[in-house]
Amino acid sequence: MKAFKIILSLLLVASAVALIVFVGGALGNPDDVIARLDADNLAATDSKLQKARDRALESAQAGDREKTLRNIDRYVEGFGDQLELGGQNRLDLFFYRHGPSLIAVSIVVIVAAAALLVSALDSRGRYRKAAIYALLIVLLYAGIYIVENLAGASSMLMTVLKKGAIYALIAVSLNLLNGFTGLFSLGQAGFMLIGAYTYAIFTIATENRAQVYQYYNGGLVQFSLPPLVALVLAGLAAAFFASLVGLPVLRLKSDYLAIATLGFAEIIRAIFQYDGLGPLTNGSNLLRKFATFDSALFPFAVAGVCIALIAMLIHSTYGRAFKAIRDDEVAAEAMGINLFRHKQMAFVISSFFAGVGGALLAMFQTTVQASAFKSSMTYELLLIVVIGGMGSITGSVLASFLFIASSEWWLRFLDNTQMIGDFQVPLLRSGFRMVVFSAIIMVVVLFYRRGIMGDKEFSLKRLSQRFRRKGESRNA
Amino acid sequence: MDFIQANLPYLLAGISVGGQYALISIGYTMVYGILRLINFAHGDIFTVAAFFAVYLSATMPLIVSLPLTVVLTVVLGFVVERVAYAPLREAPRMSIMISAIGVSYLLQNLMWYITGGLAKQYVTIPWISSSVTLWGTTTKMVTLVTPVLTIILVVVLVQLINHTKIGMAMRAVSKDFETAKLMGIKIDAVISITFVIGSFLAAVGSMLYFSNYTAVTPLAGAMPGLKAFVAAVFGGIGSIPGAVVGAFIIGISENLLKAVGLTAFSDAFTFALLIFVLVFKPTGLFGEATTDKV
Repeated sequence: MKAFKIILSLLLVASAVALIVFVGGALGNPDDVIARLDADNLAATDSKLQKARDRALESAQAGDREKTLRNIDRYVEGFGDQLELGGQNRLDLFFYRHGPSLIAVSIVVIVAAAALLVSALDSRGRYRKAAIYALLIVLLYAGIYIVENLAGASSMLMTVLKKGAIYALIAVSLNLLNGFTGLFSLGQAGFMLIGAYTYAIFTIATENRAQVYQYYNGGLVQFSLPPLVALVLAGLAAAFFASLVGLPVLRLKSDYLAIATLGFAEIIRAIFQYDGLGPLTNGSNLLRKFATFDSALFPFAVAGVCIALIAMLIHSTYGRAFKAIRDDEVAAEAMGINLFRHKQMAFVISSFFAGVGGALLAMFQTTVQASAFKSSMTYELLLIVVIGGMGSITGSVLASFLFIASSEWWLRFLDNTQMIGDFQVPLLRSGFRMVVFSAIIMVVVLFYRRGIMGDKEFSLKRLSQRFRRKGESRNA
Repeated sequence: MDFIQANLPYLLAGISVGGQYALISIGYTMVYGILRLINFAHGDIFTVAAFFAVYLSATMPLIVSLPLTVVLTVVLGFVVERVAYAPLREAPRMSIMISAIGVSYLLQNLMWYITGGLAKQYVTIPWISSSVTLWGTTTKMVTLVTPVLTIILVVVLVQLINHTKIGMAMRAVSKDFETAKLMGIKIDAVISITFVIGSFLAAVGSMLYFSNYTAVTPLAGAMPGLKAFVAAVFGGIGSIPGAVVGAFIIGISENLLKAVGLTAFSDAFTFALLIFVLVFKPTGLFGEATTDKV
């Protein structure tokens, strides 16, 4: 068994490496691929084809794969039946078209092989869990990458995934406060705003500043930072404001805290829209032309790392202190937990990640305006947390994707008038989607108060246990 | 004198808005006093009342439509409490608050759906909407009517609470929920009446408030609603005179800020005031201090 596993994993690695070599060949030399397509040089007989081919070669040299593919398609189409796409050509083209996805697949295969090797050599099963998680994570990211390549970066699916990932991060950060520390805060939109603005202000390219800040002589900031630095800075700015806000506010009890943080978010919004700060914030005008992301991998990577950090915090001693405060403040204090310090810590950390999430949201939207960060945004996030289950990270993540998918995609049809024959379906018109949506939310709030996950986490162990139990009961 | 003359329009607007906030904030403060719940949907009920008036007046004479508006708003307030809050009586307080936020979200989306997201012209109520000139400034009659009407309604309400049986029951419930229940007070009836009174005042407040403006939008009530809540906290939550005084102070000071030219901060000021009050005198102007027992 052990030898078989080792041999299998080695075979897997070998085949993955072979695949990478093949694909790399096609990806590395698109000119070769194009040249081989038309070995008989039929294009020379037709100026139009010649042009298409030149254009394909040109974009290949420029390294723009998508454009090259479009041109190749046009070129191949132009030939019609004349060009016979033989086996080799077809394979070349396939490798070139799906190259990145194939490389992603081979990476998954290599990781799978590594996991297999670990399970073969690790007789005591110490690293099994780590290997499975590593495999799952790689599978997730490779899957997103492949789906993005197949569906196109601007497809509805990718939009939902990107926005879902960003909302997942912010929802988890809110859950850290509301679900894990028991602080009913409604200020998340304000901290997102700080993050979004900090990020946007510092990453607008210097040459675009005059245009963006056209009413303020090009603005105050005259340099730009790399996106990742600005992203961290966005979190730090939000955290800094949170530490200031937290000093007075965190001494308040539940609903007073809610209304005070809501108030702070409103104050922050008013300050950012204030004309006097125009050189920095562009007043009530849009900020645009800052660095954004193309691939969904970026928000997934950032959100993934941040959520993992929050999860680690929750599983640490600090996290246990947070939960103790949530469950019984007085008892927690009696056990020697410094209430204010821990509350402040949860508040600042949550705001840091809300700031990062806000920056990601700005990148997703490509423009940012303070007036969009209303309290209704916080309410939406709060409802996501409730739907997912207060005190469940995986619940919040799941609920974010569900929430975004239904509001942006699945329930869209409710907004359009539909005809069945001559019969117009009643009620369906613009705005109905949100009505149905909020009614669903009310049902969850009233009847499924624990949400999708309650305060449990999704885990493979529990899932496998459940299946096993089901199997057992069936056998018995 | 010149200063007053120059700022009189703002002062008058402040008093008027203050009165309207007062009518809304009573709904907040009474509900909070009894249920310990920030009824986030109250501001939206206030907006729905405005739309009731708009849509009903399109088909009926004002003499019918306005009373009907009040009745429908009261029914709405009652139904919201029964459907969204009553089932959560035993649940943690956070759950009821979330339910309130959900109701607010639902009402806003419903209004957006029905109006198509467009602003609707508010009804012109004769006499109230007519202009008057006062010490050289022209203003609407509603500016003068509001404070008077507010004070009359508040006096009636205070009498009701202090001198009737149901008022006594309300005071008992807000003092101690559990004990009141044991004493045979029908909690659900008391809570329903609280919501009915709150919605009634919100409907009246809505007529006065929107008479100042030409149009209503689905989100028009969210901000006045929040400010009215701040007023309730400022005055000491649970105290009706406190809510009224707080509302007038907030209404006047936010309009004076506009007079000084800080319009952008008039909303922020309200919340800054809220935080200031919460930090330095959490019980508000007239609130009773309570001690938490373990």
